[in-house]
Order: sequence, then C-alpha cells, then structure tokens
Amino acid sequence: MKIQIQNQNFILHSSGALFWEEKKTIIISDVHLGKITHFRKHGIAIPQNAVSENFRKITEVLDYFLPETIIFLGDLFHSAKNAEWNLFEKWISNHNQKTYLIAGNHDIIDEKHYTQIGISVVNNLEIDSFLFTHHPTEKENLFNFSGHIHPGITLRGLGMQSLKLRCFFQKSNQMILPAFGEFTGKFILKPEADHIVYAIAGNEVILINK
Amino acid sequence: MNREQLFSIANNWFESQGWKPFPFQTQTWTAFLQGKNGLLNAPTGSGKTYALWLPIILNYIKENPNYKTKHNSGLKAIWITPLRSLSVEIKQAAERVLTDLDIPMTVGIRSGDTSSAERAKQKNKMPDLLITTPESLQLLLATKGYANTFKNCSSIVIDEWHELLGTKRGVQIELALSRLKTIAKNIRIWGISATIGNLQQAQEVLLGVDSEAYHNSVLIKAVIHKKIKVISIIPEKMDTYPWRGHMGLHLIDEVAKIIKASKTTLIFTNVRSACEIWYQRLLEHYPEFAGEMAMHHGSIDRETRLWVENAIRNEELKVVVCTSSLDLGVDFAPVESIIQVGGPKGVARFMQRAGRSGHQPGKESVIYFLATHAIELIEASALKKAVENTIIEDRIPYLNSWDVLVQYLNTLAVSDGFYPNEIFKEIQGTFSYQTITAENWNWILNFITQGSQSLHAYDEFKKVEIDENGCYKINNRMTATHHRMQIGTIVGDAVMNVKYMSGGYIGTIEEWFISKLKPGDTFIFAGKKLELFKIRNMQVLVKKASPKKESKIASWMGGRLALSSQMSELLRQELYRANTDNLSPELKALQPLFQRQRKESIVPSSDEFLIETFKTREGFHAIFYPFEGRFVHEALASLLAFRISLLQSITFSLAYNDYGFELLSDQEIDIEAVLDNNLFSTEYVHHDLQKSLNSTEMARRKFRDIAVISGLVFTGFPGKLVKTKHLQSGSQLLFEVFRDFEPDNLLLHQAYRETFEHQLEEGRLILALERIANQKIIWKQCLKPTPFSFPIITDRLREKLSSETLAERIQKMTASYMK
Repeated sequence: MKIQIQNQNFILHSSGALFWEEKKTIIISDVHLGKITHFRKHGIAIPQNAVSENFRKITEVLDYFLPETIIFLGDLFHSAKNAEWNLFEKWISNHNQKTYLIAGNHDIIDEKHYTQIGISVVNNLEIDSFLFTHHPTEKENLFNFSGHIHPGITLRGLGMQSLKLRCFFQKSNQMILPAFGEFTGKFILKPEADHIVYAIAGNEVILINK
Repeated sequence: MNREQLFSIANNWFESQGWKPFPFQTQTWTAFLQGKNGLLNAPTGSGKTYALWLPIILNYIKENPNYKTKHNSGLKAIWITPLRSLSVEIKQAAERVLTDLDIPMTVGIRSGDTSSAERAKQKNKMPDLLITTPESLQLLLATKGYANTFKNCSSIVIDEWHELLGTKRGVQIELALSRLKTIAKNIRIWGISATIGNLQQAQEVLLGVDSEAYHNSVLIKAVIHKKIKVISIIPEKMDTYPWRGHMGLHLIDEVAKIIKASKTTLIFTNVRSACEIWYQRLLEHYPEFAGEMAMHHGSIDRETRLWVENAIRNEELKVVVCTSSLDLGVDFAPVESIIQVGGPKGVARFMQRAGRSGHQPGKESVIYFLATHAIELIEASALKKAVENTIIEDRIPYLNSWDVLVQYLNTLAVSDGFYPNEIFKEIQGTFSYQTITAENWNWILNFITQGSQSLHAYDEFKKVEIDENGCYKINNRMTATHHRMQIGTIVGDAVMNVKYMSGGYIGTIEEWFISKLKPGDTFIFAGKKLELFKIRNMQVLVKKASPKKESKIASWMGGRLALSSQMSELLRQELYRANTDNLSPELKALQPLFQRQRKESIVPSSDEFLIETFKTREGFHAIFYPFEGRFVHEALASLLAFRISLLQSITFSLAYNDYGFELLSDQEIDIEAVLDNNLFSTEYVHHDLQKSLNSTEMARRKFRDIAVISGLVFTGFPGKLVKTKHLQSGSQLLFEVFRDFEPDNLLLHQAYRETFEHQLEEGRLILALERIANQKIIWKQCLKPTPFSFPIITDRLREKLSSETLAERIQKMTASYMK
C-alpha cells in the first residue's frame, strides 16, 4: 500500500517494512535477531529453522524494493552476541547498501562490532523533515518514524467476531512500525479519532475503517 | 513375630480407642503383611488411613523385633497425598499409633510449605515415615544421591488415587513408581481410591501393565452403604427464576433458612469467585451470621484455611462457603447439611460432597441442590436418579504425555544423571507409556540434548549433556535451578501474593485480574474489602478499604466443567419426560418456562432434534440442542461450523453449554443446506474434526499447558522478574512458531491428540451423531430468543471458525476507537 506523508511516497509492506521511494530507503523495526538462539542457549528448544526465516524475510524485502539505504529502527539484536551474529555478519557481507542502526533498548552489542561490518550505529537520524528513532518521539516540525511498541490492533464485527493484527500505527506527526521479526509478539493499541491504522493481513496491508 | 501376634497388637490398639476394625481394614493388613501390593477402594472418613498405617508399622515391628532398643533410622514408607493441606491429619494419625505403641519411629512432612531448613535436615536424616505430594516426590528424584535415600523404603501409599488418575499428576506418579521399583527392591505399592467406574484400570495404572507388581496385587473394597438424600431448592414462585446466570443468589433466603436449621452447613460453589460473592451477599443480607461464617478456597492463605477446618471440627462455625478445596480429606463430624450451588456436572463429585455431612453412624447425608438458572433444575432430577442408581464416572488416564516425560528425564538429569537403556525399560512398563516406540524415545532424547532432531551449524542449544560414559546429565547450575523451580504439572495463570502493607499474607490472586486495577481501586478478596496500594516484585500490597467504597469482586480463570456422559444421558431422559404426565417436582416447577419455550418453539421429545434460528442485533443465531454435555457440543459445533464453511464463505463464533450449542454469524446460516447435505453424517468425522481443529483455538490452548510442563515456557523466579524477562515468551507465539517451523514436533502433536482424547471425546461424538441420525429434525424459525437458547447466546467465552479471507473479514469490521 502506498501512502503520502509530507509529499513523499512511502510503501507499507506486508512484512512490516516501510519503503521510502524518493530516497530508495527501506526502514525495518524490531527484528530481534538472536532471540531464538538466546532461548536455545538456555535450554528452551524453540525451532532452529525459525532463525533463518528472519534472514529470508529481510532478503526478500531487499530483493523486492532494491533499496540503496537500510535503516533499522532499533532492537535489531535481542540480546548479547551469540551464534546468530555470525549468520548476520555473513548475511550483511552479501549486501552493500548504506546501513544505519538506531540503537534500541535491546541493542546491547558493542557499537564497534557493527562498525566493523559497515553499519553506523546512531541514537537517531534526521533526514529532511523526518526523524527516525527507536522510541516514539515528538519533535516540532518533524515527522517521526519509530518502533519499539510492536503495535497491534483489535478489530470487531457483527456476530461477536474479533481479530488481532499487527499494524502500522499513524498519528498526526508520527508513525509506529510493526515488529518485523519472527517470534516477537504484539502490543494492542487503542486508536483515537485522528489516528490512522494500516493492518497487516497475510500478504496485504489494509487501511482500517473507522 | 508371627502374623497372629502382630494382629493382636493392632486389634488391641483399636480396642483401646474404642473401635472395632472393619473387615476391609483387616483384609488390607493381611495382604500387606503377605507382601502384596494393592488398591484399596474406600471412601473418605471410613478409616482408610489406619488400614495402611497399621500394617506399615506392624511390618517394621516384624522386621525389627528389637525396635524398642535398637532403632534403624532411614526412610521406610512414603505417603503421597494430592493436597498438602491433608498432610497434617495423616501425620497425626500415624503419630497416634506410634505414641500409643511406644515405637521410636519419626514422621515428617515434605511439601511446598516445608521450610528450607527443615528440608535440609531431612536431607541429612530422612524421617522413617514421609508424607509428601507428587511434586515433592519428583523434587526428591531431582536430588543428588536419591537412590540411597529410597534404598530401604519398603512401602509407598498413594492416597486419593482417583483424584490423580485422570491427570498428569497421575502420570508423574507412574514415572516415579517406575524408578522406585528399581531402586527400592522390596517396595510395596498401595493406592487408596474412592469409587470410580474404572477401579480395575486404576489398579493397573498404579502398578504397571502386566507387571510383576500387578500380578502380586489385590483389590480390596470397603463395603459401606450410605444413604444420600437429594433435595432441590425450589422457590414458591417460579416466574422470577432467571433464565441464565451462574450465581443463584435469588435463592439466598431459602439458603438462609437451611443454615439456620442446621448445626453446620457447607455451601459448595463451582468457582472461587462465586464463593466470594456468596460469602459477601450472605453477610450483607444476614449480618447475624458474622462471626459464625467463613470462606474456604484454594487461593486463600493456608493458615486461614487450616483455621477454618479446625473451627468446623470444633463446632465454632455455622456456615462455610467453599469450593472443591473442601472436597477431599478429613471428616467434619458436625456438618449437618450440604448445599451445592450450580450443577456439579459429575455424579462422583456430587456424592463426594454429599458425603461431607451426616457422619454419625446411621445418619443419612443430606445435600441440597440449588439450580442457578431455570434449566439447571433438570440437572437436579437427573442427579437424584444418578444417586439412586449409584452411577459413577470413569477417570480416563493420560497416555503418552510427552511433556511429563520430558520433565521427568530432565529431573533425572539434574540429580545423578540417567542411562537411556535402563530408563527406557522402566518407562515401557508404565501404563501411560506402554506403547512408546524406540522412535518416540529417540525423539525425546534428541529433544532434551539437541533441542531438535538434527544438528545445525551455529547452534548453541544446551540443556542435557551426555558424558563419556553415556550418562545423560544437566551440568549447568542455572539450568538445573530453573528446572527444579518448574517441576509440576498443574499449570495456572500467573499468580501474585496479596499482602497487607502492615504485613500479613492474605492469599494469591491471578495477574490478569489485578492488572485491571489501578492503585486506589478497591476489590473484595477472601471476604475482605481491600484497597490496592501498589504492586511490587510480584506482590500486591493492599490496605483495608473503607466499607462504603464501590468495589469489584475478585475472580479467577480456570476451566469449566462439562457434564459427564453418564450425567448427560440422565439429563436427556429427564428432559424428554417434560412432554409427558410423569413429572418430577423439578419439572413441575419448570412448567412456566416450558410454556414460554413452546410459545416460540418446542420442548423436544426423545425422537426429535431441535434447531432454532433467529436474528438479534448481534447477528444471525442458529442453536442446536443435542443435550450431550459441553465437551461433545464443543466438538459438534466445530465439526458443523467447519462443514458449513465449506459450503459458503462464512465466519462463525461458537458457544456451547451442557444442553446445546450455537453458531453465530454476521450472515444468515443456510439451514436448508445443512439438512440437504446431511452435515450431521458420521462419515469423515475424524478427518473433518482434525481440519476444524486447525481453524479454532482448542489445540492452541492445550499446547499452553504442554509448553509449560515440558519447560518451553519459562515462568520465571518469583520476585526476580527483570532478569529472566529475556527468556519469557507467550505460549501463543510458541504455538505458531512450532506449527510453522517444526510441524512434526511430538509436543505439538500431543496438543492435538489431547484435544481429541480429553476434550472432544470423539467416541461420544460419533454416538451422538448416530443418535441424531435417528431423530426427526425440527427446525424452528423464531422471532426472538427462546428460554432454552438464552444461557447459550449470552455466553461470552467463544471459539471462532472462518472460511473467509482476512481481507474479506476486515472489510466488515471496525477497530474499537477510544471515545
């Protein structure tokens, strides 16, 4: 789904990624790499195959949009360095986009490791009138893109029906991205009248009726 | 000492108490002293405790003739009780014999309530007789050098075996026994069970299929006939009787009359929140009961519960509102009347409760049944029939519970480690795992050592390690501690301790309830009005609230009970009588309701199957009435919804109770098509059910318990939230990851299988479908909801099934916006 914010074109992708057409930039939030490995290291047998799914999904999105820049909006890694770092290192060496990581609360891996593989770690990023942060932030005259929350929404219908879906959550001057990673969960938000919600339904992104 | 001499010791002791042994007691003594194993079928309060404590002590005398001067210390007998609150009584019974006979044996208790100092002391020197729970027994197996502890143990008694049999705690016991048989060569195994339909099987499960222990065993039945009188509480005017509801508070005045007329009354409710509400309302309407009234349920502080139990015994209380927490255990002689609020759903449970009253010899037990809504009155007359004919349900044992096996192997790996060949043989001898294959076994071993079935590069999985001798061990101390904290098979919602700010523990409450409150809000819990001050370290700090403040009553999640097949059969017979002249007092009382029902629809007879359809502002309702009990309805509803969803693109929300089920949709349901396409057919039932399971949440919910028991969900340390947060995840999320990435996982399969075997009861479903095939289908298109439909359509706990795409559904839905 394509939307306009401040005369710029953005594509909301069903993977949870956001593509900024004019800048050829892909924005991805809350991947939580290493989470499954972290669990497994502590004797909790989450399926190993799910690890590769995160990499498969990012690759798929990059192959589809062919961006020149990647911005990770924080919580790229769930925990300290573990075996998944090696997979990530290998994966990134096959990609030559300019890559930024906006440090999130989970990003405890030392900056130098990222620098070594060509990723710039920053606290936030300002491009034109857009501000990229991990936590949702309000700053005058800037439109903010953030993550952290893992937004989800509950829909209700006739016949006592209800659905819970991941979503892009847009307020007047900010948008919160859904968590990109497998095995991350969601936090249900209740929108107010001036909020716009784009829910992810399988392979589609759908604007929610008010 | 020969048996005659030993028996005279026992008989003399009985005589000194002014008792005479019952035949079942002497039979048990004889069999035990002959070295036999067995199952004793005896009800609570019959003297079953002495039937087994005495021969255990006599056996010690026999083997240690110089016991008075030369005592051999070390564990000699284990007594397992499902409720740790019962252990004090059992200990007192043993001590009474030991003191009177002047035998220097010690008795100890080990349970979740035992202090760590006491535990450490026991580790150095075990008591001669140990009273413990299934979980604490597992914890002993998780202790280094456990084999030495049990080496000379000569007997183990599993009390209230019927309560454990149909649960995973029962499987835990089976596994522990399989180990004890090897490490304690001379152990006798005895179970004590109340009457259930499958006693013979209970004996086999306890002792092992075709095992040596089973062949050397007996089944002893205590023949004790007790008269039970069932009285329904029927108000004089029926027109105010509610069509739905689950509290029954409209009959509070009738209840007060019963309380006033008896010495002590126990009021049983099915859930804890009902218990809280009844207590509160009784106090408000009858303040004169204050001081003579108490409440007893599983979430109330243990000290308080013990106080209540003692107060009943000492005749200090006039009325106690309670839940199943008072089902088991010791006798309360002064109890004269029992009131059951709401359908007990099973005959065995009802009779057990009835048996709590009238303990003086020759007295009959009296139980009053209070139907919380009109149709439940039919249950009352069905229950009467059941009691008259002593119809008792089976307890279905769990088979191949891989989650419990995973936990057990980790337990062994935590203590001294295990050798797979040895343990595999032991496990094959149990009832639960009698069909385990070498393939299954390897899968389990791979699961605990590799966390998967094949090795991956970059994998850091670490749990059980195999040392150079082939011994499977957990070496990491943190992992071991995690495991010990999580031993158990009872999975509940996360609970928090409730404490006064000034100190003083009140009980436990579930997290979801407390999370809905803000500091300053008041709630009623354990009969007290409390104000939430703050939540800190998993503790809820409260202070006394002003009595005038508006407050919520605490509630708990927890499964709903379903009618047993025996009960549903009786219920149907009873209901079909409504169209005849042969009416029980309950059916007579229900006449006004039947009239209303007939106005809009019909009251079906035995050869009719009723379907009602109508429209409300919630959507299009279709209600079906098989009268087969909640579980069968759950299965039938998913089956039918699934089959309809193949004919048209549609989304359903499903609801059920013990009488029927509802399919609710935003579009009209084509009943013609249901009938024309013969959707009640028994063909492909298994296949269709399986398919429908994938589209509902049932298996997902079962998986939650399995994930916790097998250690996939880490519940964390109490008070240590933050540090373990990185390892916590929802079981919902887990279910999805397993379904998508490891569909062959045995634990995932178990979730589906358990749904089939313990929830949907496929066998009963097919019988129900066959019955429906022989009935005439009556489809009534009603203008508004009927009395029969009312309790179903107002139920908010619903399952969903859809054949529409997400996008189609979203178009018709809206988000709930803040106002």
